[in-house]
Amino acid sequence: MAAAADPAADQNPNPKGAKPHEPNAEAEFAEEEYDEDGEEEEYEEEEEEELDGPAAAAAERERVQSVFQRLSSDPVAIRVHDVVIEGNTKTRDEVIEAEVADLLRAAPTVQDLLHAASVATSRLHRLEVFDAVKITLDAGPPELPGTTNVVIEVVEAANPLTGSAGVYSKPEARSWSLEGSLKLKNPFGYGDIWDASGAYGWDQTTEVGVGVYLPRFKSIPTPLMARASLSSQDWLKFSSYKEQLLGLSFGLLSTMKHDLSYNLTWRTLTDPSRASSMAIRRQLGHNLLSALKYTYKIDQRDSLLRPTKGYAFQSTSQIGGLWDNKGLRFFRQEFDVRGAVPLGFYNAALNVGVGAGVILPLGRGFMNSSSTVPDRFFLGGQSSPVCSVSGLSSLLGFRKRGVGPTEARRLDPNESGSGSAAPPGRDYLGGDLAVSAFADLSFDLPLKLFRDAGIHGHAFLTAGNLAKLSEGEYKNFSVSQFQRTFRSSAGVGIILPTKLFRVEVNYCYILKQAEHDSGKTGIQFSFSSPM
Amino acid sequence: MASAAAAAAAEWEAAERKVLVARKPCFGLPTACPTSLPVLLYLRLAEVPFDIHVDTSFPDADHIPYVEFGDCVAFNNERGGVIEYLKEEKIVDLNSKHPSVSPADVVSTKAMVSTWLMDALQYELWVVTDGSIAHDIYFSDLPWPIGKTLHWKKARDVKQLLGITKLNAAEKEEEIYQKARAAYGALSLILGDQIFLFDNSPTDADALFLGHALFVLSALPDASVLRGTLQIYENLVNFVEHHKVRLLGDSSSPGLGSSTSPSSSTPRKRASAGQSYKPKPRAKKERTVEEKKFRQRSKYFLAAQLVAVLVFLSLMGVDSSELDDDDGIDYED
Repeated sequence: MAAAADPAADQNPNPKGAKPHEPNAEAEFAEEEYDEDGEEEEYEEEEEEELDGPAAAAAERERVQSVFQRLSSDPVAIRVHDVVIEGNTKTRDEVIEAEVADLLRAAPTVQDLLHAASVATSRLHRLEVFDAVKITLDAGPPELPGTTNVVIEVVEAANPLTGSAGVYSKPEARSWSLEGSLKLKNPFGYGDIWDASGAYGWDQTTEVGVGVYLPRFKSIPTPLMARASLSSQDWLKFSSYKEQLLGLSFGLLSTMKHDLSYNLTWRTLTDPSRASSMAIRRQLGHNLLSALKYTYKIDQRDSLLRPTKGYAFQSTSQIGGLWDNKGLRFFRQEFDVRGAVPLGFYNAALNVGVGAGVILPLGRGFMNSSSTVPDRFFLGGQSSPVCSVSGLSSLLGFRKRGVGPTEARRLDPNESGSGSAAPPGRDYLGGDLAVSAFADLSFDLPLKLFRDAGIHGHAFLTAGNLAKLSEGEYKNFSVSQFQRTFRSSAGVGIILPTKLFRVEVNYCYILKQAEHDSGKTGIQFSFSSPM
Repeated sequence: MASAAAAAAAEWEAAERKVLVARKPCFGLPTACPTSLPVLLYLRLAEVPFDIHVDTSFPDADHIPYVEFGDCVAFNNERGGVIEYLKEEKIVDLNSKHPSVSPADVVSTKAMVSTWLMDALQYELWVVTDGSIAHDIYFSDLPWPIGKTLHWKKARDVKQLLGITKLNAAEKEEEIYQKARAAYGALSLILGDQIFLFDNSPTDADALFLGHALFVLSALPDASVLRGTLQIYENLVNFVEHHKVRLLGDSSSPGLGSSTSPSSSTPRKRASAGQSYKPKPRAKKERTVEEKKFRQRSKYFLAAQLVAVLVFLSLMGVDSSELDDDDGIDYED
């Protein structure tokens, strides 16, 4: 803004009163920090400087100071006349305007405009297609007093193709994975980001996929995502089947709290080991999953790695069967509540959480039909229930998928006849109703060395249970029986956050387990993503 | 080994229920899949009581059909198949009950049925017909994208297995039908006017051939070459009819050319399948030469277009920098 530095100017400063620009004599002031409502602002001011000597410089300084004084004392009204976009060769103007124009035009005063400008800068940075963004407030046309032109200068990413590799933890995945991806930024000028990625997970999951991310599509305000992927998961050890998925997923709505996505997946279950139990054998084959998934999430905890205060809530609803009556039809609902309470000493905090989930098949005769195994709930595994919000599945001390209804695997009479072979083992089938809860007390360790490194200790108590409701089993379900058969474990441990992983060393003691559960008392390690 | 075989037989005896998992019934047959039907017939011939469970979601599985008894299972893709497993484990062995039957003859007949006749049947089912029969049997309970993809995959696999390419399609077809004719002729001679193929006593060869012939006569359309060939041999047709009534309890006559199977849900479909039954390979060969020329020409045309576009772009690309919009700062002057 060509500041009206003349102290004699009236209350509505007229930018026209400032000295006009001359392109051959420009000076830029270094970024000033301007405090407004406790927030830091940055803006640049371009002003002409007459090199007449120290007197002129002094007059200049006075002028600038008076501008600041006026800005800090009263709101100074201004109107944005035009938003000018420069520097975009590939990116379309509409994309940038749609992101920030309304925000800038709505600012009624200079102070608000400065605040809006910084918000706009960060929004444009978040698109990830620009290397640099600079917003300048310039003088409006001379015939319109009290107006300004906002100039947005962008520098597009010099190298549109970037690659990355790393260890990530996805919310749907049950553990961390090694992922490599290539990203192509903004090839069509809509701020679109295309990526191709491959991932290998700790639980024998492999996935390759391509996706596209559009920050806005016509008038839809939230970003859209589409992804095609091919993945396979190996559950042979736990449930005697392998899963192959070929799918399309579309992220329709994605904000801080809400997330809506549609998934169309061709899922194939096979059993190359030919050792599965009857319940799993009946489920082998192809099906089409056409499902809409809605997630509502609030996370007010103060930290993701070691929450000491706050609460979090997540609800995930999934409804499948939008294709026709030949696809999978079910309704799946999950709730998760967490809370953290600080206790005064040793930086200690008590984290508690409860999670519950249910899956119901839909369609004719749904009371007697069965739910599909991959969509059911499983408990077990070493992942920490404290960190993530969707921790319904973790039950420390028990092996992954190691809890719940089971069925004997196929018996090979030749092997069992020889007398020396072990019994065939059991498949874990998962449950239609799952409830789990935990309480975790975390505290700093007495040594300063540990405290500085972020190493802390914790004592925990976890409990959970699974029940089968489908295929008519709901008639045999009783709440008291369900309560009586709750599995539980307790223990203590040390948490070491390193750059690559978050390592937990726990000693778990199984308090209660059912006949076929695979829980083990002893020392266990768990690795999770450091996020 | 003896103890192991005895273990399997003991499990079989101890099992309360035996369950045969096979593909869905169609065309008046309890299971319309040509791989599952012989197993069902073998169990019926052996007078073993069993239940049938229908599998609708895994049409391309190798392990179906399979028989469950207790916690044990006999799969199709293990130890030579369900029938071979049952014979080996001495659980159900039809051949052993009649020692006068020459095993060499039985084995060679089985080999003929399971190679030449099976090839001819697969060829007709997957390559020649328009696909509606296969769809009804295997894919009607799957969502259509999955069904279509699996169908295409299977047709391609069958062509590969039979060694059929565009060039040799007509020859291969001739070869396949010739072998089928020879096989039917031999079987007709073996059967004569007996009730079963060998010595009036049932063997697994009977189950295999009966399964094949029942499918050909019940499911394939009227215009099918294989069906026509089989119908030439009256004693074979009578053999099928007789055992169909006995084993499957159906009183319709499948072999006389008309679509009069009252329990079948698809008499209409058979007729329509016949209408759309095209001798595809021959037509393909005739069209191939012209098609080749046309395709070649269109490829050249497209290549020329592409080159022209590339030349245009590279010439115009030199001046592309002038196309930038310059929203300059509004200088006051």
